[in-house]
Amino acid sequence: MAISTIPSAGITGGGFNFRNLIINGDMNIAQRGTSVAGLTNGSSQYLIDRFKWYEGGAPTYQFTMSQDTDVPTGQGFVKSLKLDCTTAQTSLGAADQNIIWQRMEAQFLQHLKYGTANAESLTLSFWVKSNKTGTYVVELYQNAPNRGLSKSYTINSANTWEKKTITYDGDPSGTINNTANAGLDVYFFLSAGSNYQSGTLATSWQTYSAGDECVGQVNLADSTDNNFWITGIQLEVGTTASDFEHLPYDVNLIRCMRYYFNHYTPDDNGLYGLFTAHTSSAGRMPYRFIVPMRDAPTVSSSTAGGFTWLGNNVSGNPSAIGSESLNKYSCTVNITGSFTQGYSYWLAGSTSTELRFDAEL
Amino acid sequence: MIQSVTKQYNSLNIADTYKVILINGDVLFVPHNEANRHYQEILEWVAQGNTITDPGA
Repeated sequence: MAISTIPSAGITGGGFNFRNLIINGDMNIAQRGTSVAGLTNGSSQYLIDRFKWYEGGAPTYQFTMSQDTDVPTGQGFVKSLKLDCTTAQTSLGAADQNIIWQRMEAQFLQHLKYGTANAESLTLSFWVKSNKTGTYVVELYQNAPNRGLSKSYTINSANTWEKKTITYDGDPSGTINNTANAGLDVYFFLSAGSNYQSGTLATSWQTYSAGDECVGQVNLADSTDNNFWITGIQLEVGTTASDFEHLPYDVNLIRCMRYYFNHYTPDDNGLYGLFTAHTSSAGRMPYRFIVPMRDAPTVSSSTAGGFTWLGNNVSGNPSAIGSESLNKYSCTVNITGSFTQGYSYWLAGSTSTELRFDAEL
Repeated sequence: MIQSVTKQYNSLNIADTYKVILINGDVLFVPHNEANRHYQEILEWVAQGNTITDPGA
């Protein structure tokens, strides 16, 4: 049947057009784990894929970050990102900050047309819940030209899921290069010291000025009673918010794997790969990533002794796991053990072993 | 926080990776690639006056 008319709602209803510039906005993918405690000075890190908890200054507060099942009812979400203040800091240092943020890859943002008169507006929508009511700030930030635009929203009712929508103008003077590097950041502020609140909120694009970054921001760290949940984050072109684009779990996972991939085995003796004994102590395992990564990743692993090498009627535990020859498609995994040179072996793991590849921005 | 960085040579004797030991004991293998955020941290660490160990090929 030929299509003669495109409905006014467009052709996206019930389908996917990847209009959400945020990856994993439904907080469904958490390859690094589901909870991390003691977040404080010096412990900026990722937990839920693509979302980084960041602290600035020298704060004394502590938070636990987790993937939670508290979600807005009837919206199709199953997971949220939760922050629980476990050590309060009622008086912030001037430089103290606390942010949840995502950095978007530049080459996926060329249709925003930043740096031209046709720069597109963006609309951010998300669901949020906290006992700590009041003003919060979300900033868009371009790293290379050092430009920011901040907007505030209000949590009106304590412990109630609320949907927030914020529209940002495009930036005719901005720069988003066509690379696999940083393009645009979204900062969800949770607390901010006086260095970031001394001016006037930068509600139009401007060269970054710390004092204009998050004027009016409440301090989520001022009580151990404080909790904060967020999910359903969507950033899309235009001035109106559409319904959240729920991608299938597997599509969401593959998109996240471009930036981080944790190879674990769901059962004991799960295969990691086959390797050859380059020398009597050095195994070399060619390793191809499931999806091409953003760029050459950093490799790390769980304790080497938790892995097992087998072959030639012998087995053992590696004394070290390493890597070399890294690029965005593949690498060599190095296994240190006691081998017969030229023989082949396999590397197996258990439910507690991990081989991690990190190409986050 | 970086504790030490050692240049690592691959099987072809090309130095293409750095072994990084963090203060918390974690070990990272970082490519020589300016688009990698951990390599950027190595550059910052060196700019602070620290030295990369080179064991030679």
